[in-house]
Amino acid sequence: MHSGGITFAALMQQVLVGLSRTTILFIVSSGLSLVLGVLRIPNVAHGSLYMIGAFVTFSVANFYGQTGFGFIAALVLAPLVVAAVSLVLERGLLCRLYDREHLMLLLFTFAFTLIFADLVKMIWGSDYRSLNAPAWLQGSFDLAGLPFPRYSLFLLIMGPLVALGLWLLTNKTRIGKIARAAAVDREMVDAIGIDVSRVFAAVFVIGCYLAGLGGALVAPTQNITQGMDHTIIIEAFLIVIIGGLGNIWGALLGAAIFGLTDAIGILVWPQFAIVFPYMAVVIVLLIRPRGLLKAIW
Amino acid sequence: MKPENTGIKKTAAALGTVAGFMLLALILPRYYLYLLALILTTGLLATSLNLVLGFGGMYQFHHAVFYGTGAYCLALILTKTGLPAWLGYLAAPLAAALLGLIMGLLTVRLSALYFGMLQISLGSLVWAIVYRWYSFTGGDDGIHGIPVPDLIGTSRGAYLFVVLVTGACLAVMYRIVTSPFGMVFTGIRDNPERCRAVGINVTGHQLAGQVMAAFFAGVAGTLFVTVEGSVFPDMMFWTLSLEILIMCLLGGWFTFFGPLLGAAIIVVLRTVVGSYTEYWTLVLGVVLILLIFFLPEGVLGMIRRGGDNAAGK
Amino acid sequence: MKRLFGLACFCLSVLVLLPVAAPVAAKTITVGIVDCYSGPPSTYTNDVRDAFKLEIDRINAGGGVLGHKIEFVTRDSKFKVDIGLSAAKELIYRKNVDIMMGTINSALALAISDLCRKEKVPFLVTFAKSAKITGAKGHDYVFSITENTALAGKAAAVGLAKKPYLKYWIAGDDYEYGHAIADAVWNNLRKLKPQVTLLGQSWWKVGEPDFTPYITAILSAKPDAVIVATGGRDCVPFLKAAKATGFNKRVPFYMHTATELSTLKPLGLNAPEGVIGTSNYFFYYPESPENQAFVKRFEAAYKRKPAVGAIYGLLAARFIAGAYRKAGKVKPQAFIKAMEAMTVDSPIGKVTMRACDHQAMLPMFMGTTKKVSGYNFLIADDIVTIAGKDVMPGCDEIARQRKK
Repeated sequence: MHSGGITFAALMQQVLVGLSRTTILFIVSSGLSLVLGVLRIPNVAHGSLYMIGAFVTFSVANFYGQTGFGFIAALVLAPLVVAAVSLVLERGLLCRLYDREHLMLLLFTFAFTLIFADLVKMIWGSDYRSLNAPAWLQGSFDLAGLPFPRYSLFLLIMGPLVALGLWLLTNKTRIGKIARAAAVDREMVDAIGIDVSRVFAAVFVIGCYLAGLGGALVAPTQNITQGMDHTIIIEAFLIVIIGGLGNIWGALLGAAIFGLTDAIGILVWPQFAIVFPYMAVVIVLLIRPRGLLKAIW
Repeated sequence: MKPENTGIKKTAAALGTVAGFMLLALILPRYYLYLLALILTTGLLATSLNLVLGFGGMYQFHHAVFYGTGAYCLALILTKTGLPAWLGYLAAPLAAALLGLIMGLLTVRLSALYFGMLQISLGSLVWAIVYRWYSFTGGDDGIHGIPVPDLIGTSRGAYLFVVLVTGACLAVMYRIVTSPFGMVFTGIRDNPERCRAVGINVTGHQLAGQVMAAFFAGVAGTLFVTVEGSVFPDMMFWTLSLEILIMCLLGGWFTFFGPLLGAAIIVVLRTVVGSYTEYWTLVLGVVLILLIFFLPEGVLGMIRRGGDNAAGK
Repeated sequence: MKRLFGLACFCLSVLVLLPVAAPVAAKTITVGIVDCYSGPPSTYTNDVRDAFKLEIDRINAGGGVLGHKIEFVTRDSKFKVDIGLSAAKELIYRKNVDIMMGTINSALALAISDLCRKEKVPFLVTFAKSAKITGAKGHDYVFSITENTALAGKAAAVGLAKKPYLKYWIAGDDYEYGHAIADAVWNNLRKLKPQVTLLGQSWWKVGEPDFTPYITAILSAKPDAVIVATGGRDCVPFLKAAKATGFNKRVPFYMHTATELSTLKPLGLNAPEGVIGTSNYFFYYPESPENQAFVKRFEAAYKRKPAVGAIYGLLAARFIAGAYRKAGKVKPQAFIKAMEAMTVDSPIGKVTMRACDHQAMLPMFMGTTKKVSGYNFLIADDIVTIAGKDVMPGCDEIARQRKK
């Protein structure tokens, strides 16, 4: 069920679309990577926080009547709301569990995916939600003869900005340096009199903030519904793994591989397009069993 | 208690339990038999996962793919070929074991999370093929109304079959974890470097563990077909793998019977709470959190703490 | 082996703790509903249940059926076949329901259908769109009161054949529903209008985040019209992209569920105009007193307008009550006999259950999206009714499919 050859123009289009999709994947998985790399928590509730981010964005933007200001306000507020939720979660419950097995933490975060899914259903109900980007981000402009959606360009600008911010945070600030040290040897950092627990809380909240930011950014392009958590979480985990645990640039690279194979797969063999990203992960892991870039641990 | 004495006692207790479960077929209404059959099938699946997860310390993140392979293999043999049914029941676990071997060869040299994620990717490839290959596997609609042999086609027959097969498989798996192989396997979990240093073939043991776990998952798959008469791609989707992993952790992954208990808890919670409220996953989530805080080693792990445990840590 | 013993005790105690089947009053008919009430599909399924309840309440208030009250219980399948199937078994084995009803998931509908055939419980399918349910996999105990991909496809073909378009493009969700509906539209259209040509096709995966590249590719091929075979949650973002790129202004396109309330309401006034869609029901059409009265009742009860699911729920209730009344007794065999060729009144006119395949003969309304004052979302306009009998496959065709 596929017609004709692949034109160069179509290929370029798919590449650009793949890249803008990469941005969302990158932002979400960089947060996951941080939490997994530093705290060693396989946070499966990360996808739920992304979904909550999208729903809160919808509510905030709707509160301001879906105006340009409303969208900006939502873009600022929604990730903060998600960060606040995660702070309560971390200080209230998670911080008591750091000495447990990895897999028990997985069980814990899984419990929260169940809880969050039902809470979202209770609060927002089952109707589809749609949110419009502000007028200046709607429509397309011409890029070498091809229409390119403005919102995709916006995403393409946001991605590197977030990456840069994260890199500065982890490499140039005190908290980032402590976090990286704690990732390698927690006892050691504890021993020199630094309150690791607080650092962990900060890292967890930043990671979750990124999930919320991803959700906020994706909101105008997608139908905001329950079940958004499922689709993103497995992709985010795979990206983190192929990129290298805790490595921000690895997450960027992994997201690019994932987004591009996905977009191009549709063009090459649409019927089996869903296998392409998985195939890419298999190939990467067979060649480099510990991810493309250096993992934190 | 003398060792040989314990052995006999254990065998007697196991046989007695199986007989007890079989007697239930006479008194329980068929819904409860169905529920028990479902618990045992899921329990067998979870126990087979725990063989590598709990005893081998391997992050087996996509175990459901072997379960689905077993189920689909039996379903396809029963619906598409004229081969006798017993051949299907034999071929299905072997097909799952073969897949386990292939995936194992590719994944076994990776460690921890990387191992798990490569397994998820490979398993998702299998899932995608089943999901998409409409003419052969029925695609996303699945295959329904699978003609199971008459003897085990009724609720009671299916239940008795499940009890016998699960009982036999659990006995074999128990033998495996208590055998010298099992001891080495657990040793590898606790200290792979030391095992390697004393000349143990770590990769070989892990590969063998994978194949065995896949085999028993395949058996569980055939039981599912017997009980439900349907197969569908959900059976090899990663969400199910996560669910059975949760069952192992919940029941106690360092114990032999923990996963069975975990499966029972989840299936029962789903059924009982699900008949009262649409929000049963919320209840399940809260129960899980309470368990994590108050029973950190899983339910059975907590009960067994302090006692002797030949199979566990 | 205290553990094994403990486990056995646990299992037994759980069984004892399970809620005992509520003592069923001698005079009730119980309907068991398994459907997905979580995740994206629930936007459709809630209306089925709510309209069903509304109608059942009315029937019970009027004295019930043959002196029996109708009761119903619901179970959430979470869009998972295994959960739905074991819920269905619970309802049949333990609650001893007289009738099963549901579900939006085709795989689950086929699984429950098979269970109901074995258990001899009538099963009314209220949303699943697979044509296999009453086609190749149909049997005595299964009934469908919803359109399916074959019917929708044929209805679209009948409607499109009347339009002047000759060069088509097909695009859609790359999964079973998308392909089935596209094939049905195209095969029927070719039969009705042999001179149509297909310029090309494009398929995307479910949940595609950006439709712009596909739309550009389609526009550059300059077709007369496009058949968009997308469903469920992808409709909303697709229409959004169509509006952003001006697709609807340049090439007319048909999308089966484009005119559904569930699709158009979230988009508000930002939905594209001029999109052709088909549906079994609109709250504003037909403009009959019967429909207006139903909408009023539904709104009074639930504070929202009924969407297409509501008509399936209402029809299910009327068919169940009508069939038992006609049969004169509460017996599955008599119920099936009575259902066959039975006609009920409804807001969309008289609907007949065809005897040969147990498929309700529902009219299909083809309309075009338009802004109309008084609504803060777009509605379907220029509605053409395509009668049920015109879109049903022949009984001989069904017989052939079932023989295979």
